[in-house]
Amino acid sequence: MSAHNARVHELRALDTLSAGQTAIHRLHPLAKLICTMTIVICTVSFGPYDFIRLVPYLFYPFIMMSIAELPYRLLLSRVLIALPFCLFAGISNVIFNRSIALTIGSMNISFGVLSLFTILLKMYLCVMAALLLVATTPFTELTTQLRWMRIPYIFVMVFEMTYRYIAVLLEEAYSMTTAYRLRSGSKKAIEMRHMGSFVGQMLLRGFDRAERVYTAMACRGYSLKHIPFAKRKMTGVDFAFLSAVFISCVLIRVINLR
Amino acid sequence: MLIVNDLTVVYQDGTCAVDNVRFSISTNENVALIGANGAGKTSLLLALVGVLEEKSGEILIGDTIVENNNLRDIRTKIGMVFQNPDDQLFMPRIYDDIAFGLRNYDFDEPDVEQQVNYTMSRLGIEHLAQRSPLKLSGGEKRLAAIATVLVMSPDLLLFDEPTAHLDPRARRNLIATLTELPQSKLIATHDLSFAEELCSRVLIMHEGKLLADGDISLLNDATILDTAGL
Ligand SMILES: Nc1ncnc2c1ncn2[C@@H]1O[C@H](COP(=O)(O)OP(=O)(O)OP(=O)(O)O)[C@@H](O)[C@H]1O
Ligand SMILES: [Mg+2]
Repeated sequence: MSAHNARVHELRALDTLSAGQTAIHRLHPLAKLICTMTIVICTVSFGPYDFIRLVPYLFYPFIMMSIAELPYRLLLSRVLIALPFCLFAGISNVIFNRSIALTIGSMNISFGVLSLFTILLKMYLCVMAALLLVATTPFTELTTQLRWMRIPYIFVMVFEMTYRYIAVLLEEAYSMTTAYRLRSGSKKAIEMRHMGSFVGQMLLRGFDRAERVYTAMACRGYSLKHIPFAKRKMTGVDFAFLSAVFISCVLIRVINLR
Repeated sequence: MLIVNDLTVVYQDGTCAVDNVRFSISTNENVALIGANGAGKTSLLLALVGVLEEKSGEILIGDTIVENNNLRDIRTKIGMVFQNPDDQLFMPRIYDDIAFGLRNYDFDEPDVEQQVNYTMSRLGIEHLAQRSPLKLSGGEKRLAAIATVLVMSPDLLLFDEPTAHLDPRARRNLIATLTELPQSKLIATHDLSFAEELCSRVLIMHEGKLLADGDISLLNDATILDTAGL
C-alpha cells in the first residue's frame, strides 16, 4: 500500500472504528457530545500558564481509549496534524517572554516555554476529545444529535458535507495520482505545470462524488430537516457517564490546590 | 404502476438528456432500458426518483404524482440502485448502511433489525453485516447496495448498470437473485444477454428519445440496434 493510500484508509479508519460495539460506543450520542463540549470548554478556559492544572484531564482520553478499545497510535497520528498550527502560535512566546516561571532541579523554565507547553496540552486535550467522539459515534448519529439540539440546519449540513467531501476528495486524489504516475514514466511527484489542472479536476470530481453520495442518501429518505433517531432516550448508564465526566471536569476546573 | 408522460430533462448547460419520453410499466413487469453511452438512461432514472430538478412532464407512481412535496413518500415506493455502489455505501458497517433508510423512516429498532436480517439472508450476504464497505469486492458491494434499497420493500426497483464490474459467476447469481424478486423492475444496461434473460420488454433510447418500446425480441432486430448506435 502506498503512503497516500494508507492515509486515505486511515481517514476512513475513524469511520470504521465508530462501528465498534464497546460500552463507550453504545452510549447515547448526546451524552458523548455534551462530555466532549465540557472538556473543550474547561480546557480552553484555563489561563496560558496553567499547565499543571490541566494534567488531570489526561485521564479522560486514556480511560476512554482503553474502554473503547481504540488504537492509540492512529488517534495520536491524527492529533499531530494540528501540531504545526500550535507550534506556530506558541513559538513567539518562547522568544519574547523569557522571564523565569519556575525552576525544576537546575533547569529554569521561562513563561514562554511554559505557555508553549500549555498550548500544546490544550490542543492535545481538545483534538483528542473530538477524535474520541468521532471514533465512537457513527457520523449520522452525530449530525442528527446536533439537529436535535436545534443547531441550525444549514450549519449541520455544511459540517456533514465537509466531512464527506474530505473523504471522497482523498479517494479521488489517490486514484488520480495513481493514474498520473502510471502514465508519467517513473516520476514520483506531479509536475508543476500539470498541478493546476490536476487540483482543479480533483476538486470537481470530489464534489461530483460527494453530490452522488448525497443523492443516494436522499433517495433513502435522508433529510436533515427531518430528524430521525431522536426517539432514542438517554438511559441510566448514559446519565451516570455524563454526570461523572461533567462533575470531574468542573471540579478539576474549579479546585486550585495551590 | 408507473406512468411517464412527456418527460423531458434539460440540464443547466442546455444538454437535453431526456426528450419527451412516455411509457408505462405495469405491476410485476421487468423492463430493460437499453441505449448507447450518453443516450440518457441514467438521467431518466434519476428523474423518476425525483432527484433532478431540471425536469418537466408528469410521473405517476401508483396513483400519486411525483412532486417535490411528496418525495418522502415516493421514495418508499421506488428504490434506485446506483451505477457505482461506492456512492451508495457510506456507513461504517454494511449493517448500518442497510438499516439507514428504515431508520430515516422512523422504524423501531427491533423492526429495523428484523427487516435488515431478512433482506441480507434473502441476498445471501449475512456474513457481510459487520464488514466495512471499503473492504468488499465489487460483487459484494453490488449486493450490499441492492440490499440497501430492497430493505425498504419498494414496489418498483430501478437499476443502473447492475452487471458492471461483475465476474461471470457474480453476474449469474445476480440474475438468479433478481428473478426471485417480485417487484417491477426497470433496468438500464449495456449487457444485452442480461436483459434478455431477465426482462420481457425493452425500451431503447437514443439521444434522449425513446426509439422503441416493445417485446424483448426487439433486441434481435439489427436495424433498430444500429439506429440506436449499439
Ligand atoms: N449533470 C449533467 N450536466 C450536464 N449534462 C449532463 C449531466 N449529466 C449527464 N449529462 C449529459 O446528458 C446526456 C445523457 O447522459 P446520461 O448519463 O443520462 O447517459 P447514459 O445513457 O446513462 O450513458 P451511460 O451509458 O454512459 O451511462 C449525455 O450527453 C451527458 O453528457
Ligand atoms: Mg449511465
